[in-house]
Amino acid sequence: MNSPTPAIQIENLSYAYGRAEAVHDLSLTVQPGRCYGLFGRNGAGKTTTMKCLLNLLRPQRGQVHVFGLDPAKHEVEVKRRLAYVPDQVAFYPWMSVRETLDYLASFRAHWNRKIEQELLERFQLDPAQRTDALSKGQRTQVALVAAVCPETDLLVLDEPTSGLDPIVRREFIEAVIGAYQQGVPGQRTILVSTHLITEFEGLIDEFTIIDRGREVLTLDADHARERYQKIRARFTESAPEIDLQAALRVRRDGRELELIANGSGEQLVERLRQHHPESLSTESLTLEEIFVATLKA
Amino acid sequence: MILQLNFKSGMPIYLQIVDQVKAAAASGELRPGEALPSIRPLAEELRVNRNTIAKAYTELESLGVIETLPGRGCFLKENQSALRMEVRRKLLIEEVDQAIVQAHHLQVPREEFLALIHERLDALDAKRRAHEDHKEDQ
Repeated sequence: MNSPTPAIQIENLSYAYGRAEAVHDLSLTVQPGRCYGLFGRNGAGKTTTMKCLLNLLRPQRGQVHVFGLDPAKHEVEVKRRLAYVPDQVAFYPWMSVRETLDYLASFRAHWNRKIEQELLERFQLDPAQRTDALSKGQRTQVALVAAVCPETDLLVLDEPTSGLDPIVRREFIEAVIGAYQQGVPGQRTILVSTHLITEFEGLIDEFTIIDRGREVLTLDADHARERYQKIRARFTESAPEIDLQAALRVRRDGRELELIANGSGEQLVERLRQHHPESLSTESLTLEEIFVATLKA
Repeated sequence: MILQLNFKSGMPIYLQIVDQVKAAAASGELRPGEALPSIRPLAEELRVNRNTIAKAYTELESLGVIETLPGRGCFLKENQSALRMEVRRKLLIEEVDQAIVQAHHLQVPREEFLALIHERLDALDAKRRAHEDHKEDQ
């Protein structure tokens, strides 16, 4: 059986601004219907990568494909099938929210008025308000409305929630889950770049962590939480000297040991057990903790 | 039925949902014929991917715990396992063995372990009775 055409395929992508390399030899594949996270610190190369997908930048090396198409050669077809919320949202300041949405809808073959109405109410946006009077959060909300209503196959979100207050962030994610993921499960693909990982935790199926333009880790979210564990052991006397090479990180404090394990959790737990700790516990790392552990290691 | 997800348990999210629905059914918190929340509001409330909820419901359906009525949603089925008794026993043995291994490592002796099993069964019965009394009161 042929596997479906990936929604996004990036192969050995490199891009430099002058001599400053922003993305180096990055490869990743997003299967249709998945919600894919691109995690990295500020300046890690997330936005550059996304701009290459949108044909806002041309890859200097490597290739990108969206639905199997080269965005540079098939710009119209690719843009017809995706919607994008940039990190800096800009509208024509003299237009009202209503005019802005109508203007953006005029570029689209399809626009779901019912969802538009539902989201405007949910976000309590006034259609008559001029866009230059909107707050940063409201501008992002309008951009999300404009990205959801065309009901495209792919939604690209670049740092959508940074700089927003917690309530707006929650509403944003609920709207993505509720309004964008509408319809047949597995039909809508999301690529989201963020360093605010916790709030996307439940939404992410798979992720790539990039650092200084390079891929550090790519994993399925469930597997990641299974593989990365925090193990805590407390001993009756000071913690024994044990070979804990297999651990990603070891912290020692008097009678206590705290390990971060990457896939070798069971082996480490067994080794600790042999020294009869008075308490021993394991818990999985969240995606944000995995992000921090990976970049600090 | 209120579901609570734990991203630190190491258990895949859809399986946490499967287990909690099964537990709610066993305790009588969710009754046969009762509707499960539909996918969209549940996904929004738990802030998880809709595919995750869909996957959990598909799993529950293949386990025979719930049934999907097209256009109406998902409902809890009467507890009638389609599996033969020996298969059911075999499935349960795996779980019991795991608990026994855990008991060994936690140094819980045999008698105490057996007493604990009785205690937990009684607790579940009590919970079920409470849900039934409440049902009759209504």
